Amino acid sequence: MIELRNDSLVFAFPQVHADARLEVELQRTLRIPDDGKNHPLPPGLGRFPLRHVDDHAAHLPAEWIRHGGVMLPMYQAEALWINFRSPAGYPFAVKVATGKINAVTGEGWRDGLNRGPQDYVAVPGQPWLDGYVVEKGLIRQFVAMPLGAGYTAEEQVTGAAEHGGLQIMAFPLRREAWERILAEREKMRKKMEGMAAPAPMMARAPAAGGMAMGLGAGGRMRQSIYTDTTAMEDWDLRVSSRCFVHIANSMVWRSITGTEPPTVPPTSAEYSRAGLPWFDYYAEGRTAVEGSGILAGIKSVFTFGKEKGDVPLPENEPVEAVNVVALHEKHTPASVREGAF
Amino acid sequence: MTTLGDYLRERREALREGDRGYSLRQVAQRVGIEPSFLSKVERNESPPPSEDTLRRLSAELSLDTDTVLAMAGKVSSDLQEVIRRRPTLFAALIRELKDLPDHAVLRLVREVRDGEW
Repeated sequence: MIELRNDSLVFAFPQVHADARLEVELQRTLRIPDDGKNHPLPPGLGRFPLRHVDDHAAHLPAEWIRHGGVMLPMYQAEALWINFRSPAGYPFAVKVATGKINAVTGEGWRDGLNRGPQDYVAVPGQPWLDGYVVEKGLIRQFVAMPLGAGYTAEEQVTGAAEHGGLQIMAFPLRREAWERILAEREKMRKKMEGMAAPAPMMARAPAAGGMAMGLGAGGRMRQSIYTDTTAMEDWDLRVSSRCFVHIANSMVWRSITGTEPPTVPPTSAEYSRAGLPWFDYYAEGRTAVEGSGILAGIKSVFTFGKEKGDVPLPENEPVEAVNVVALHEKHTPASVREGAF
Repeated sequence: MTTLGDYLRERREALREGDRGYSLRQVAQRVGIEPSFLSKVERNESPPPSEDTLRRLSAELSLDTDTVLAMAGKVSSDLQEVIRRRPTLFAALIRELKDLPDHAVLRLVREVRDGEW
């Protein structure tokens, strides 16, 4: 079951366990330049507003209503990252696709969870996903572009602009496996009683063309998708919840919903010049998945635009991220990236 | 069953123990009614005041407005409006839930609908 609360998608599986609750947020952020350099993680500038498509059916294409789900507004060339939070630390396997192209493997949407290659992220180990996995430890940022102009990852891979948007599907851990984890934690907790409290960790607090938008590949960013070490049989494949997140052009958001979209975000250059923080994330002892050949092969929005003679990304000037904050994995739930702008 | 008058008076007198500003006269003045009227209401010697007066009295005495209105035999006009706008839906909902114990009616959850894709 998925609930929309405070611009978050809350996946709950009460039939599996009361702790099985996953919060997925879509964060506004800075678009990093597509300049061949590998950038640190930009901050979160707040959640995108999310709305049930059913609430605005009169103004939406029949296709969107058929899909069900929710929608959010993005400006052309605006970027997005996905925040995963499991408050109780309950494990989830989450598949993310854009235009039904898997953002980790570049393969078309498939049911279930797959490995070799791993086509999902494992939460809570994976706090964020900022884009397409193009190389081990490197992603290309999710950047919004109107559907139909060839820029989106979907169009690059399939040649068609059929779906657009983002698709998210989550599987919880089996109840028995969770109970084992809880028992382990209790043992650890008893052992640790009497030890000094660890130093607090800093959280990376979190960030028209046509009406229908999709996501394409932006600049390169240092981010690893961690290899899932959970036993496959511990994932509860009998239950899952999925959601279609439509992306509407911010320029028409007002005519669809009657409310204003968020304002245009600052540029990376403005943000860095103000000395505001970027982030790098370190998780000890974890390995990262290899990049996807398919995704590495798609043309970035900037490159595709250049070939077409378009300038799809205004303000693609190089940016120097001077203030980079190193974040480490916590043993307690969710890090959030905060941007003060 | 406590009457409206008793409920209001007991509350006002309890407040007055801690603060002399809760005399009949002062409360009536702040709420904008005659002290003699408030006195009658507290003694159940007058029909219940208007919704508006009851709201102001509830606020003044830090009481739950819907409870006070119910004791006065009224239902908040905003709730009435909600039901009037979609009578079939809300009448059915209320009848369905009417016998549920308090702890069972936790909250209504609107699920995100998944369709075909």
